[in-house]
Amino acid sequence: MNLLDFSNSIEGYLLVSSILLTLGIFSVLTRKNAIGILLGVELILNAAGINFVAFSKFHSAAIDGQMVTLFIILIAAAEAAVALAIILRFYRLKQTIDADEASLLRN
Amino acid sequence: MTNGMKWILLIAELLTVGSALIVAINPNILYSAVFLLFSFLGIAVMYLFAGADFLAGVQVVVYVGGVTILILFAIMLTQWLYRLKLKDIGSKFVVPGVVLALGLVPFLHRGLTQLGKMVQAAPPEKMAEFAASPKTAMIGKALLTNYVLPFEAVTILLLGALVGAVWLARPKA
Amino acid sequence: MPVNSALFAQSLTQWTQGTWFASVPIWVWALVSALIIIYMLALPFGGIATYVERKIAADLQDRIGPNRVGPLGIFQFAADAIKMISKEDYVPPGGDRFLFNIAPVLVVVGSCAGFVALPLGQYLVAGDINIGVFYIMAITTIIAPGILLGSWASENKWSLLGGLRSAAQIVSYEIPVALSIVPIILISGSLQIGEIVKQQGWHDHFWNVFHNPFTFISFFILFVGGLAETNRIPFDLPEAESELVSGFNTEFSGMRFGLYALGEFVDVFVMCALVTSLYLGGWQIPFLELDKFWVTLPSGLIALIHVSFFLGKTFLLVFVVMWLRWTLPRLRVDQLMGLCWKGMVPVALFNILGTAIWMWAFKGQSMLQVVSGLFSGGGGSH
Repeated sequence: MNLLDFSNSIEGYLLVSSILLTLGIFSVLTRKNAIGILLGVELILNAAGINFVAFSKFHSAAIDGQMVTLFIILIAAAEAAVALAIILRFYRLKQTIDADEASLLRN
Repeated sequence: MTNGMKWILLIAELLTVGSALIVAINPNILYSAVFLLFSFLGIAVMYLFAGADFLAGVQVVVYVGGVTILILFAIMLTQWLYRLKLKDIGSKFVVPGVVLALGLVPFLHRGLTQLGKMVQAAPPEKMAEFAASPKTAMIGKALLTNYVLPFEAVTILLLGALVGAVWLARPKA
Repeated sequence: MPVNSALFAQSLTQWTQGTWFASVPIWVWALVSALIIIYMLALPFGGIATYVERKIAADLQDRIGPNRVGPLGIFQFAADAIKMISKEDYVPPGGDRFLFNIAPVLVVVGSCAGFVALPLGQYLVAGDINIGVFYIMAITTIIAPGILLGSWASENKWSLLGGLRSAAQIVSYEIPVALSIVPIILISGSLQIGEIVKQQGWHDHFWNVFHNPFTFISFFILFVGGLAETNRIPFDLPEAESELVSGFNTEFSGMRFGLYALGEFVDVFVMCALVTSLYLGGWQIPFLELDKFWVTLPSGLIALIHVSFFLGKTFLLVFVVMWLRWTLPRLRVDQLMGLCWKGMVPVALFNILGTAIWMWAFKGQSMLQVVSGLFSGGGGSH
């Protein structure tokens, strides 16, 4: 199977999504910056979305996979908005967004 | 699909993966955010080629127009603007992260491919017909029939997120 | 006769069969048409628009305006372009070179890509995408990161303030703009711009502005929201010359500034063309359907007339945009956000509801159809 056909097969899509998922996990683990962690989470959610779309075309040839991806995108948007609001709040409290500093249980 | 189209898809996939790599390893958080934008665009093209035209539009509107802008905004509001405290990689998890990344990709890919083989693949002509049909009307129908419960749940979630984000980011009383 | 570009493409393919045209791969055509769009439409429009804008400004302020280069100063834009190209390629030393380079490109790409889905005439559309309206909404959002990144990369507090304002403004005003497109989608049942325009013929339900009272309001919301999205006066806070020097493009000079200016003008054109297609009937001629009225007219001539009507309506809106620039004062930041969230969003939502009720109550007929139904005997159904 040559590269061009691979890119248009389910294996190609799944490879891209696996790489995205691992890079996302990597960035969640290694970043100290809270926004960096959020970037990693976005990558993970997108990887899941790619999977659903790929299976929707290559295996079921029906709309259901795309519907799940649609909901994933909506939830990711809500998550990003709330997460960034929390980050801004945290910044106002501690003047930093280093995730390791988020060790207070109350304030 | 012609070869030219396949080339475009291949380039989009390479763009997605390459940008995601930069997102993960670039020490400058602003660059990470910028390349996340390119990664989102590549994913939108991949959606287009998988017959998800409406989703590709949603991807660009929500991620490029919404999430990326919010992230850039948050970066600019929370970092010392020109003193560049932006470099941040190097916590204690780097080595486990690399090991995990190297081990996880083949594992995940193999597992997912096996899963794909267990499910019956769609016949090629049905797949082509599905890929070529416009999805907007189908998604609209699905939202108001089979998926009406998740749809309502998501509307409540979005309202909650809206109010919650405003409440969290309010100025100090 | 099906109104789509597939027919046009088919006849084009038949035409080129056997010649060397047919052997050229499709991506070459894609590249060529992209270049044609940029060089034949976007660049001249951007250039001429700067000239026209200066002339209109001069007229409104009782001045003469550019009058040195060529007759009536009409080659002023060419002189400006040459000046911009020959300027020093300057990047602020403390700035970020990479982002400084890609930011103007993002702006131009985002605005020029909108041309693809705009139907200039009945068959003249680069790609009548079936999510056309949504595509234009989506692709023009790339402009906002372009402005924000450019402002950050130039290491200048005025730039950064302008960029932050711009991003907040564009993200906020996208909501009323998107919401005021929804009534049109309710009416036409399609996201395809070619189909939406086709339904606005004189024998169909005429221009969507006059479809019902709610679309009349949402036309203005779309237009004003579009003004805000393109950073035009009275919403030009990102540039705000009296407060922020020149806003997000303060540090940009030479051709990079030229790209920003070009991107802005092209964006204005795309926005006006979108409003024209959705609300003002696109290429439709008012009170007349030419191909039915005069069957023997050659199709090329019909296409030409349609294109000129489309461009005429669009340029009329562009003129209004330029006219407003020299008429209205700038809003304050809080007024800007208040107008969007407390004014336009609720009204746009109300319009959607109203249009839905209208569609249900009058079975999808427009005001004109309802009125003509009353006169043509007892208001029976058609």
